[in-house]
Amino acid sequence: METKQPKLIVKDLKKIYEDKCALNSVSFDVKEGEFLSILGPSGCGKTTILRILIGLLDATSGTIIKDGVDITNAPASSRGMGIVFQNYALFENMTVLGNVEYALKIRKETKAVARERALSMIERMGLSEHINKKPGELSGGQQQRVAIARTMILNPEIILFDEPMSALDVATRISLRKEIKDIQKEFGTTMIYITHDQEEAFAMSDRLMVMKEANIEQIDTPENIIDHPANEYVQSFVIDNLQAKINSLVKYLR
Amino acid sequence: MKKIRKFASAHKLNATKVLLICVFAALVLIPLVRMLTNINGESLKSVLSQESFLSLISNSLVATALSTLTVLILAYVLAICVERTNIKGKEILNILLVLPMLIPSISHGMGLVVMFGNNGLITRILGFGGNIYGLQGIILGSVMYAFPVAYLMIADVLKYQDCSPYQAADILGIPKWRQFTSITLPYLRKPLISVTLAVFTMIITDYGVPLMVGGMYKTLPVVLYQEIIGQLNFEKGSVYGLILLIPAVIGFIFDVLNKDKGNSTFVSGKMLIKKNKLRDGAAYIFCGCICFFLMLPIIVFGILAFSKRYPSDISFTIKNISDALRLNAGTYMLNSVKIAILVAVIGVVLAFVTAYLTSRAKTKMSKALHLFAITSAAVPGVVLGLSYILTFKGSFIYGTLAILIMANIIHFISSPYLMMYNSLSKLNENLENVGKTIGVSRFRIIIDVIIPQCKLTLMEMFSYFFVNSMMTISAVSFLSTTKTKPVALMINQFEAQMQLEEAAVVSLAILLVNLLIKGIVALIKKISTKKKVSVFTEEAM
Repeated sequence: METKQPKLIVKDLKKIYEDKCALNSVSFDVKEGEFLSILGPSGCGKTTILRILIGLLDATSGTIIKDGVDITNAPASSRGMGIVFQNYALFENMTVLGNVEYALKIRKETKAVARERALSMIERMGLSEHINKKPGELSGGQQQRVAIARTMILNPEIILFDEPMSALDVATRISLRKEIKDIQKEFGTTMIYITHDQEEAFAMSDRLMVMKEANIEQIDTPENIIDHPANEYVQSFVIDNLQAKINSLVKYLR
Repeated sequence: MKKIRKFASAHKLNATKVLLICVFAALVLIPLVRMLTNINGESLKSVLSQESFLSLISNSLVATALSTLTVLILAYVLAICVERTNIKGKEILNILLVLPMLIPSISHGMGLVVMFGNNGLITRILGFGGNIYGLQGIILGSVMYAFPVAYLMIADVLKYQDCSPYQAADILGIPKWRQFTSITLPYLRKPLISVTLAVFTMIITDYGVPLMVGGMYKTLPVVLYQEIIGQLNFEKGSVYGLILLIPAVIGFIFDVLNKDKGNSTFVSGKMLIKKNKLRDGAAYIFCGCICFFLMLPIIVFGILAFSKRYPSDISFTIKNISDALRLNAGTYMLNSVKIAILVAVIGVVLAFVTAYLTSRAKTKMSKALHLFAITSAAVPGVVLGLSYILTFKGSFIYGTLAILIMANIIHFISSPYLMMYNSLSKLNENLENVGKTIGVSRFRIIIDVIIPQCKLTLMEMFSYFFVNSMMTISAVSFLSTTKTKPVALMINQFEAQMQLEEAAVVSLAILLVNLLIKGIVALIKKISTKKKVSVFTEEAM
């Protein structure tokens, strides 16, 4: 693993809007099959990175290299990436099946093949009994599973998650967490996951990237971040917050 | 490569926006400017120096202000009766109250003449009356005409009001009248301003009611109408057009500013309505009276349309229908339906494309386009009609159905545009982005995802364009020829020739056609929401 070149290399990525800097020359890389979380408060530039990576937004400068190929200017659909949005963005007028097989149909896959692949993906996501329901009839967790299935059906090498659980309740979050990790292992998919929840980031990630005001503060494994926080900010935003959460519970766990 | 493609696609969106802005400018602003350049010192002087000029202005303002006030009070009370009591039959009431919205304003005026005129039905029964002509007539007719619009708007606001502030106030022991002044009024302020402006503009620019029952009490739109239709004096007409434009534009600007800082509250609880028989009884009486009053013209038309010779012999006959047909009512009805369908189809497409570009394909041009799309709401129909004569006279389009269709689309587009704008803004903002990442074009997403989700709004828009095109007598009155005339304009003509029975037949025919369209839309809506409702109950369980 160590000798392999990174799946994704991001170099000096910069995004400047008319009056403000959203991303200040960030560089990082992601290994094949790795789960990388991007953690930071709202407005720190997390979502900007994600949108540039997938091609929904143009960077002001910088390069993105995937498998040794420069994809900075490639169209979103040919980057081999998928994205799962915060509010699912499902096609409300279509059934679960319709949502999942839509991309295949448009890509001129034969009807039978599209159907078969969609059905097996839906089964994999545990949605078989809901196959003919519309998104409005599903719970939030189920909707998010449909969104994941819709993304997975195109076999992306990298999946980007934009705070996918922020609208869900705690129990659903915890079960969906496990499911996403399972998918990562099963398919060997590289995942980049945005969250502002420290606990979620620590529970899921191989590595963590802590951001603040358009800059990367630290990028490392959860263990190393706990042991060697890079600066005051990482100490207070990540470690102290986690500690506070633990302290508030620990008195009940005698 | 990609940069170029991206640039090109943003470019295409902007180009479409510029094109649409040009269309709106060409069909709204340029005609208006053309009308204003038609004003010269002489015509201005002859209008302003008339002895009757000041009374004309004050007549318009007084009649409109009194009508608006009456409409607001009655509509508010009725909305309270429906939304805050336990009375039954609310659905029927809501259907009945829509009916007066489906006939032209001129029909309301004529209804008053038939009921309360010198030879009026009610005048004869009660043995008094006959003095309907004048300010009182204009107020009565304008109230009938504008009431349903105000009621629907206010009832909608009350329906979605959050009850939690009232519960909190009850717990804190705040007296009811303080709750009204410190919770209800602030909540209603913005919506009420909107309703007031809508009703005010509707009434002050209408010539149908005052033409029928105004008598010697002349208002601005009537004088403008007579100046153009009777005297063919376009210079003086333009001056009146300018004057009429002023309150409409002021109202429009106020409304835009008022809505800009929207007070969007989220519903968190439905109002709990306590049991109170006395209150419900009073509500029944009030609703009954209002309904009866608003239904009167339609009831009277029903009698009149099938009477042998009103008022001397009101025994049953269907001769009036064949008479109306003999007088070409059929041909003109066909004109109206043709116009209404084409206005609805083209209008829906234009409004959808414009709303999509301003709500889901935002660029710097979007705001400008949005403004252009709603500007036509500031132009009264008669003014639009007059400016179209001046602009298009002599061109190939003049005297055709096309110019009537064009004028109607522009006249009515702002409401359906806003309906679609709101619907599209509510859809998930990432739908097109999902498409982009899975390799589906924006166009395909619009066809496969966006349009199916906006079906109901599209139908509402269609029905709005259709119904209003069937009823309108404003812009079209100046632009139609004997060949292209829509049927609503026959009411005026029949009334002038004392053929009241035929006028009643035509009013009822318009009502029926509009009712048919409304009914179809309501039916489709009901079928598709029924599915959704069952979904919700399932989920709740």
